[in-house]
Amino acid sequence: MIRAVASERSTILRPSRALLGGIAAVVLVEAGLLVAGPGVSRAVVALLLLVPVAVAGLLGGRLVALAVSLVAAIGFAVLLPAIGSPAVKAGDNLAAIALFVLVAIVAGVLLSSVVLSDRRRMTAELLTLETLRQVDRDRAALLRSVSHDLRTPLATIRAVATDLRSDPPYDLSTREELLDLVIDESERLDRIVGNLLSLSRIEAGALLPDRQPVDLAELVESCVGRLRRVTDRVVLEQRVEPGLPLVKLDYSQFDQVLGNLLENAVRHSPPGSTVTLRVRRSVVGVSLEVTDQGPGFDPTVRARLFEPFASATGSGSSGIGLAICKAIVEAHGGTITASEPGWGGAKIVVEVPIDG
Amino acid sequence: MADAGVLLIDDDEALARVIGVGFESRGYELRVATTGAAGIESIEERDADVIILDLGLPDLDGIEVCRHLRQRTRSPIIVLSADGAEERKVRALDEGADDYLTKPFSMPELLARVRVAVRHRRALAALVDDEVLTVGSLMLDAAAHEAFVGGQPVELTPKEYALLLLLVRNVGKVLTHRAILDQVWGPDQPLDTLRTHVSHLRRKLGDGEGAPMLVTAPGVGYRLLAPGDSVT
Repeated sequence: MIRAVASERSTILRPSRALLGGIAAVVLVEAGLLVAGPGVSRAVVALLLLVPVAVAGLLGGRLVALAVSLVAAIGFAVLLPAIGSPAVKAGDNLAAIALFVLVAIVAGVLLSSVVLSDRRRMTAELLTLETLRQVDRDRAALLRSVSHDLRTPLATIRAVATDLRSDPPYDLSTREELLDLVIDESERLDRIVGNLLSLSRIEAGALLPDRQPVDLAELVESCVGRLRRVTDRVVLEQRVEPGLPLVKLDYSQFDQVLGNLLENAVRHSPPGSTVTLRVRRSVVGVSLEVTDQGPGFDPTVRARLFEPFASATGSGSSGIGLAICKAIVEAHGGTITASEPGWGGAKIVVEVPIDG
Repeated sequence: MADAGVLLIDDDEALARVIGVGFESRGYELRVATTGAAGIESIEERDADVIILDLGLPDLDGIEVCRHLRQRTRSPIIVLSADGAEERKVRALDEGADDYLTKPFSMPELLARVRVAVRHRRALAALVDDEVLTVGSLMLDAAAHEAFVGGQPVELTPKEYALLLLLVRNVGKVLTHRAILDQVWGPDQPLDTLRTHVSHLRRKLGDGEGAPMLVTAPGVGYRLLAPGDSVT
């Protein structure tokens, strides 16, 4: 829409059409004046011929105004001897023609400029309006997404709390299972809030990594341990290359990256399938790969996978996790890429330099 | 209400587990489908007494799933919505849903909604082609166009009667403003017309013992509830 508005012509008619129309109008005016005969004054002739110049300028722009001015001037020069009184000196006609040319050009160009500036102003206003509408639509989508994300774990927490309060016929193990779900969902809520805070920091340009030498094997162990209940539904295969060097990273930011990648992979994996986490040396430094056996990426969002809210689905998450990963990885001078292995599923690869 | 079959269509594993525990321990038979397509397939294989449908599903739009379900079953559909937008609820109701709950909800509330839906489904099934309809102490004689509350005749205008008949025939179900206006008055009637008639109807039905309740679904519509159907 914005592109369509921006590429709109700066003239009302195509210049070629305005030019042809202008010339035709000059010829018509001249024909009419010739039929009217020698009684018409030079002032009337000049004013009548200025009309096609002005209209062509309004519709076709400056160049058309100039061209029609010259055609009208020639017409004026041709017409004057035919209607001129014998008492008028030849020099007077030349002066009148010169004056006509000047007035016609100035009038045509001025009028076309007014139209042009009006149209530019309107185009700019339309662009602003469309941009504001887009911002409104984005905000509404963001609110819907965030509201959905926050309410989903809350739904479980509230359902369990209200159920347990109504004195249900549960044995101890059922009660404990439900309370475990409350703990899991409150942790999920905490991760969502953490992601939202990171997103606001990214948007404010305040995501500054505090780089320290990090043992990736230790980071992986800690993150996987924290997410154990999340990853319980799949087989998590960890392949961390032994003897990796220390990497200069912001520990908590990379903990969030790894957490988001693992949670994302698990959420899209069939129960019991394998999610593989591989950490190893690479050409640029170190790479972290998370591969799942889920359905792969939705083709409608594949190109915008790392944009906030691009991968929002009706159910899972708002799709800010990958956007946050990308911002953090890039702030560390690294890259993040997504691909679909030939056998199905999805693979996300993060590469970061060792010295940050 | 033991042995009622409930189909839950929701992809959130934690919530499905909580609902599963809650319903099964109270004697319901619960089936769970984690996608819209699986839910539609499940209802094609075997009907359910009640369907609980989450509008946020990974494969299909929940409203679309609601439409497909309604084409295949007359069972009550209770939708769960996380975005709280009234427009989505109205669309779901227009596509055949009977009731809605906004997340987060309380478990007793969901259980109450399901009990009401099951009870009214069974009551309506027994009333097919019956000319005398009753809800609590309200009795409508459809052939004579007469209404009685607690045995006493109630004076109703033709439009009030038509409105009450529609609500009684859909007892327990949330009817949207648009659906009521279209069926009782025809298209392009203002909402104020409906509000005025609802107000008159409430006054005439009274709040005596056994009288049905004409409940407002804020921003969405109205529903008639039998006495004792405690849903908020």
